[in-house]
Amino acid sequence: MRILMSTRGWPYAEVVLRFGAQISYRAGEPPTVLVVINREEDRPRADSILARARELLKPAIPDVRTRIRIGHPAEEIIREAEEGHYDLLIVGERKQRNLVARILQGSTAAHVVEHAPCPVIIAKGETTGRIRRILLCESGAQRPSLLTRFTAQLTGLIEGEEDITVLHVMSQMSAWPGTRGKNLRANAEELIEEHTPEGELLEQDIHLLERPGIVPHPKVRHGLVVDEILAEAQSGDYDLVVIGAHRSEGWRRILLDDLAHQIMVQVNRPILVVR
Amino acid sequence: MEEPRREDPDPKNPDPLELTCSRRKPIGLPEVLRVVWARVDPVKIGLFTASLFLFILAIALMKDGARGIAPIVRDGLSVTNAANCLGFGWLFAYSIMSGSPVAAAALTFFDAGVIDRLGAFTMITGSRLGASFIVLFLGFIYVLRGRDRATSLGMGLLSLTVTGTTYLLGLIIGTFILQTEALDWVQLRSGTLLNSITDLIFDPITGMISGTIPRWGTFLVGLGIIMLSFKLFDRCLPQMTIKESQVGQVSRLVYRPWVMFVLGAGITMISMSVSISLSILLPLSNRGFIRRENAIPYIMGANITTFIDTLLAAVLLDNPPAFTIVFVEMFSITVVSIVILVTAYHRYERMMLDFVEWVTDSNTNLAIFMAIIFLVPLILMFV
Repeated sequence: MRILMSTRGWPYAEVVLRFGAQISYRAGEPPTVLVVINREEDRPRADSILARARELLKPAIPDVRTRIRIGHPAEEIIREAEEGHYDLLIVGERKQRNLVARILQGSTAAHVVEHAPCPVIIAKGETTGRIRRILLCESGAQRPSLLTRFTAQLTGLIEGEEDITVLHVMSQMSAWPGTRGKNLRANAEELIEEHTPEGELLEQDIHLLERPGIVPHPKVRHGLVVDEILAEAQSGDYDLVVIGAHRSEGWRRILLDDLAHQIMVQVNRPILVVR
Repeated sequence: MEEPRREDPDPKNPDPLELTCSRRKPIGLPEVLRVVWARVDPVKIGLFTASLFLFILAIALMKDGARGIAPIVRDGLSVTNAANCLGFGWLFAYSIMSGSPVAAAALTFFDAGVIDRLGAFTMITGSRLGASFIVLFLGFIYVLRGRDRATSLGMGLLSLTVTGTTYLLGLIIGTFILQTEALDWVQLRSGTLLNSITDLIFDPITGMISGTIPRWGTFLVGLGIIMLSFKLFDRCLPQMTIKESQVGQVSRLVYRPWVMFVLGAGITMISMSVSISLSILLPLSNRGFIRRENAIPYIMGANITTFIDTLLAAVLLDNPPAFTIVFVEMFSITVVSIVILVTAYHRYERMMLDFVEWVTDSNTNLAIFMAIIFLVPLILMFV
């Protein structure tokens, strides 16, 4: 698994490198650390960032590759990901304090997630770098399912000792008074037992995760999708939250709400966006 | 995997889509007209014509009888100020389980000088608040039959709560606009030709009815006829085939709020009723579900275009200030809805859903809510 870590300097770099080191170690392939600078004169600063990164990663990964690119950060990260045929991109989240700049420029991480050719991890929040508890948010709205895409694209990410919660949020309510709404309040086990579409989706995911050492938990929450995912991510002490990317094709891109962006912005955990 | 092959169309029963989209067969106008004609349902056209005829007749009768009912409204029920009108419109809509006839009645009262323009405005607002009780009432019937409380009452409560909050904020904006006369230039008359035609057709009928019964009775006959016209109109609505469209998955996907807002407004522009528009959502899901995220903006959009029939009533009354009143109503609700959608939609959404959850949480909460929605209009009647 080819991994690209992008950083713009300290203190944001540390969380990216710690997280990236853990994943690269699992993948068994040295990662590439990328620094994007705005102009040639910034090269000494980039060299210093990369030197410090090499030093930090040295105990776990002695042969780190480094790259420097000049230009717009998000565009250069995407270009490098495309040219280098990477399988996973890890970026940090730099909080833009200036409201005007935030509105005009947007977040680099959000731009990268939207246009990247591969899955993206936004390393943020307080993390030790280890990945033991994973929250996988399965909507069931896309085929193949999120878990199928996750396992197909990032096999090396799962070591076999993880505790994985497969979460489905039922935000549905009755559209008309006469509706029988027993399933609207059912938990995961009840939905699986009743063979509802949600139950079948969870059951299929649990089968996919049946490997030695992995402990899968199906879970259903009721409420607004974004709120429930954030609440679960906060309460469950997860090391990584996995979500699907917003659909980027055709009319659906315009018609459907970008829940992935809302979760990505608000969650205070490392988050993996699978395409 | 091999792509499923499309079967050849039956030559005796050609697929209209094939006729219009095929590149191989150039089609002529007569063929297109034949296909269109094959889809026309004469019964529905008849129902539509009848409902339109009855609607115009009802407005004419209510206009004629409004002065006769003035003593009952003004002296008997003490409807003299804007607050009374709000409460009166609200309770009136509860009693006949419909808002549009009450809104039309408000315009005829205004036309007859029974109430002033602020009174007409608040009575129309009251009519919508009362009408939004219909879905909740249906929910109560299901609860009495033993169905689950939260499922049966959820949509009715949400519809009522969203309508209540947006209309009460709209009431403030609308009152300000009417008092400052900022939109008084927005007026529309029915025109001499339309007046002549309607007078020619409907004057003999209204003359005959008002000659045989007292004037207040003419108003009540008009009210009965307008309710009948809405019933007929509901039956002639075309089958909505949005299920296969890009917005036909409201039970599975979460749409952007403005998409659902426009959808709600668009469907209600045709159906003219919020409750009918909500019922149209039902066949979109086999299980009768809708995403919470999709419901609120849909109701907000529906609450604006539900005034289309009241606008038509204002035009038929040939009373330009009445048209302004309805326009101000639509304008103020639109402003409130757009401000909410743009600035604080997610907070508003959570507040509404939390409130609905609180109401259905216990019988006590439900009783408190019911007491409020009946006591408030009653109190307003005596202010």
